[in-house]
Amino acid sequence: MTSFRNFIFLSTGLTYLLIFIGGLVRVAGAGMGCPDWPKCFGRWIPPTSIEQIPSHIDPATFNIVLAWIEYCNRLFGAIVGLSITITLFLGLKYYSHLPHIKWPLISAFGLTLFEGWLGSVLIDTVLNPVTITLHLFFALIIVMLLLYVSQEAYYLDNPDAEKQSKYPSNMKALFGLLAFTLLFEVILGTEIRGGLEMIRKENPMVNSQFLIDMLGPFKYAHSILGFFITVLCALLWYRVVKQSLNPSTLMVQTSTGLLLLIMVQIITGEVLVFFDVIPLIQLFHLWIASWILGIISVQYCAWKRSGLIDE
Amino acid sequence: MVPGILFLALGANWVIQKADRSHDIPIIKEVPDFIFHDQTGRLFSNERLANKITVLDFMFTSCTGPCPLMTSNMTDLYQEFRNVMEVQFVSVTVDPLIDSESKLKEYADFVGVDDDRWQFIRSDLESTKDLKQNGFMLYAGELPQGHAIKFILIDQDGNIRKYFDGTDEASLAVLRKDITNLVKELRS
Repeated sequence: MTSFRNFIFLSTGLTYLLIFIGGLVRVAGAGMGCPDWPKCFGRWIPPTSIEQIPSHIDPATFNIVLAWIEYCNRLFGAIVGLSITITLFLGLKYYSHLPHIKWPLISAFGLTLFEGWLGSVLIDTVLNPVTITLHLFFALIIVMLLLYVSQEAYYLDNPDAEKQSKYPSNMKALFGLLAFTLLFEVILGTEIRGGLEMIRKENPMVNSQFLIDMLGPFKYAHSILGFFITVLCALLWYRVVKQSLNPSTLMVQTSTGLLLLIMVQIITGEVLVFFDVIPLIQLFHLWIASWILGIISVQYCAWKRSGLIDE
Repeated sequence: MVPGILFLALGANWVIQKADRSHDIPIIKEVPDFIFHDQTGRLFSNERLANKITVLDFMFTSCTGPCPLMTSNMTDLYQEFRNVMEVQFVSVTVDPLIDSESKLKEYADFVGVDDDRWQFIRSDLESTKDLKQNGFMLYAGELPQGHAIKFILIDQDGNIRKYFDGTDEASLAVLRKDITNLVKELRS
């Protein structure tokens, strides 16, 4: 049972890291580093020199740095897949009688297989923008499922957690709305990124500011929705911290953390718009969005357990 | 937590920079000074390489070996980069005794050159040999027969950046990408 807990925590952490690495592949422009799938230039270990490239693949596509970046991403993806498989195996072994652990795990595992397949579609379609967004979207769903199971596993060992706390009862809509708008915001963000890349490809000489101007309405939608999310998070903080009886440390800390992360998102977002489209900041902007979603999921799960205040 | 994030940020930054620099093409050497004449009789010296991305080859008009294929490939490039004014093409004749200015002009017309983005240049045999052997490090023992089939990519500062096989499609695919990257570099 301890082994299950270790593995579900490990899988969750690794999946977060994989989202980071996936984002890194994207900003490094290494998505097509290997033009084939699952092998890389027809080899299980990428070529180290141009002579090793099979004749049916255009050698112009070979860039040793990009090939190895993409290869590391795939290798790490395989490790995460393995970790989730072991977690599923242990979960079914010990907790097959608990549907709230069994089904999220099975779904996470199924979606992980689907993600691997989407990875191959990405290569086949030479990074089709919709597929890239789906690839990220399902990664976010997987990590939320894993977080949920991690938390439930924690509660199995700490059955009294959250039982002393009482939160407002009518918060389900707030959590739902937040999760939905956050996912939508992430999709809008990827549209902006995709748009930037497309404009850059066709106009290699334009500067960042002009690039942002060429984006059109998407960037406003992203900002307006961001503002809306900020308000919702402030409301969440108020309800959890101020309108609850004896809120747990987890809830108070995650609420404060949420506001801090939102602030970081506003700052990084503005830096991207007003200064320069800096790849490293782009990467963290996306990764932190996945943390925010995770926090919402953790809070929802804790809220559900507690005694609720009728209003 | 903070050291972990810092570590990730530094690692990611390193990877991004590596990826950025992976598009760079190393500088091999500078093209030495030379003064040739183009097909219209105007001077063409190494100064004309400045602020242009140049693809240069050695050829002669009456060549029947690999030259027709090289010329056809160069023509394709010339047409493809029609709208990119930073890119120019230079063909150096290794048979200046036969290839007079008028002969080169005739040849340029024949392959469809209609602007000054592609120059055919000539000098005396000695200067040609010197430029080829010492300037471009290509064998120039028995001109015109032993001329190279290389396309040479030269940057805006007159540096040789890379050699390509002018008869090989795969090699030319790499050349196309490298030209684009150098133009981007020049424009930024």
